[in-house]
Amino acid sequence: MAQLELFLQTLISGFLLGGLYALIALGMALIMGVMRVINLAHGDFMMIAMYIAYWMFTMFGIDPYLSVFIAAPAMFLFGLGIQKYLLTPVMKVESILPHNQVILTVGLAMVFSNLATVFFTGNYRSTPVSYASSAWYLTDYWRNSPIELSLSMPWTISFILAAIITIGLWIFLTKTDTGKSIRATSQDLDAALLMGVNVNRVRMVTFGIGLILVACAGCLFLPIYYLYPALGKQFTNVGFVIAVIGGMGSTDGALIGGLILGIFESMTATYIGMGWAPAGRFAIFVAALVFLPGGVASILRKWRLGK
Amino acid sequence: MKRFSVTVIFLFLLSLFAPQAFAQDVLKFGIPLPLTGTNAKFGEIEKKSYEIAMEEINAKGGIKGKKVVLEFEDSQGKPEVSRSIVERLIDVKKQPVIFGEYSSSSSKAVAAVAEERKVPYMVVTGATDDITQQKYKYVFRMNPTNAYYATGFMSFLKEVVKPKTIAILYESSDFGTSGAEDMVKQAQKVGMKVLVKEQYEKGAVDFKPILSKVKAAKPDVIYMVSYVMDAALLMRQIKELRIDANLYAGGAAGFAIPEFIQNAKEASELVMTATLWSPQVAYTGAKEYAEKYKKLYKDYPSYHGAEAYSALYIIKDVLERAKSLKADDIRAAFKATNMMTAFGPVKFEDKDGYTNQNFMDTLVMQVIKGKHETIWPAKYASTKYVYPIPKWRDRK
Repeated sequence: MAQLELFLQTLISGFLLGGLYALIALGMALIMGVMRVINLAHGDFMMIAMYIAYWMFTMFGIDPYLSVFIAAPAMFLFGLGIQKYLLTPVMKVESILPHNQVILTVGLAMVFSNLATVFFTGNYRSTPVSYASSAWYLTDYWRNSPIELSLSMPWTISFILAAIITIGLWIFLTKTDTGKSIRATSQDLDAALLMGVNVNRVRMVTFGIGLILVACAGCLFLPIYYLYPALGKQFTNVGFVIAVIGGMGSTDGALIGGLILGIFESMTATYIGMGWAPAGRFAIFVAALVFLPGGVASILRKWRLGK
Repeated sequence: MKRFSVTVIFLFLLSLFAPQAFAQDVLKFGIPLPLTGTNAKFGEIEKKSYEIAMEEINAKGGIKGKKVVLEFEDSQGKPEVSRSIVERLIDVKKQPVIFGEYSSSSSKAVAAVAEERKVPYMVVTGATDDITQQKYKYVFRMNPTNAYYATGFMSFLKEVVKPKTIAILYESSDFGTSGAEDMVKQAQKVGMKVLVKEQYEKGAVDFKPILSKVKAAKPDVIYMVSYVMDAALLMRQIKELRIDANLYAGGAAGFAIPEFIQNAKEASELVMTATLWSPQVAYTGAKEYAEKYKKLYKDYPSYHGAEAYSALYIIKDVLERAKSLKADDIRAAFKATNMMTAFGPVKFEDKDGYTNQNFMDTLVMQVIKGKHETIWPAKYASTKYVYPIPKWRDRK
């Protein structure tokens, strides 16, 4: 029984963690698919959004979850600006290296985290919300349950919001014109151009939406985690690994990849050791590259074609 | 023109002699401290504390009627810089006694120079065991070493909790690993069984998997060696999973600072931690010093500050008892030290392979009603400890 309890509790943790990971990776995958740019500043954009939510909480007492409505539009505009004034000009420059934009995002990441250190100091911060360690317990609802499971309240709220945001993104991508142009650009750039899609505008909007997603992820992470200027790198890593597992640029793949990584990390922590979690993360990353170069997306595609 | 240059030379010569002339009623000490670099934060705390002590001592007539003047020398946290600073203090400035430095590695470098030049040196904060294990005759250490850090906590376990099993969680860094290894040794000494010993990557988001494992193992004590935010996350998730142990304890660092309570909120209640010093400990002068520091700098000082503050009082005590300012007289005075400071009792002993080491009780703090209180040893407690600890389910 104790073993079952341990397994189920680990599964729950992994699932909740995976949902949040997926949200980070979604934005990265979207940008990767449409712009062919690996955004290595993704985690640092998340850090900025978290600082916005943090200051909203400390100065005006706004709950981090509500800050989604402030941080997301702010990051969208910020993304448009970055795309228009930094990424697009760099794309036009001829260079020996084909991926100037990737290098640019690395530079941005450094600038952001250093600026945050200058402005906000290197101190760790968090938003001590009242529900931070609240949870629902199985034994509270079912007195004689042989096992005890708990479901953290903030983690669950974050997970549900992440799911809602993901569904919103899916509706946007499949039902709206802009969304359809984004998918078209992602699937075949030249065809999209020929069909009269304003690719430059699509790129800008995509980058903005990618940042909206990561801003949401930041606001959802703040109540359960904490904040410091160098936090970005860790989540850029996570997003990148998931994007690779999911199949570069595939949003469906990123969603499944996120859940896979979350559950995988939790299982490693329980059954092998938590110190192994980072090693496990990169093992699965390498395994995905070697054995499944197309990622989860390629399996999805095969399955759809087979039907 | 000639007259003018003669005047200048005269003034220049005068300025050379002037300090010597005043030196009669001034005692000048150069103190090496890291004022820039990664350890600068602690160097700063110590500098401020030395200054508070200096002002207090001078207000009461100085040392042997001489005014104390402190000169802080920036060692940048680099042992080789500390070394050259101290060489200059001894060879050029002829300073009779050396004290200061922050890190263990710098203190070690200074200790080697002092021993070689036969000038007494008092280590103030460096905690690595081997500094006072080298049979140095002229090196004294006022702070407890790493190996004795948890003595207070262990005596609390032995006398009050009497646990049979323990789970140890620690961050995968030097600090975390050495803290955990020490605890394993201590646990074996008192016959506790280590059920779980797990490390985690600093900055982890979700501790629930290993905590679930801890829960399944049902240990009497959960001991964690973590830095600030991990400490708060761990306790929050322990509360969330309702892991009921007899005792939740932290190995100082992240658990001993006010931020822990701010971040973990009600999950921090009744958590214990080993510590060297706390602002409300019942040592004479501790509270006064802490309040004075807070008034000046808006924050309570860490134990490093208390060590620095007390260091100057020890030096005062030693110099006033020393027959002369000769190295051997000062050394003899150090040996005979037996005094109470804001940091705790100070007495330099040769014991357990250590030479000239101050052995003192380390403290245990517990979070009671959202505040750190000193609870052990009982004679220095600011309030009575809360034990047994209620189960999570029964807490409000």
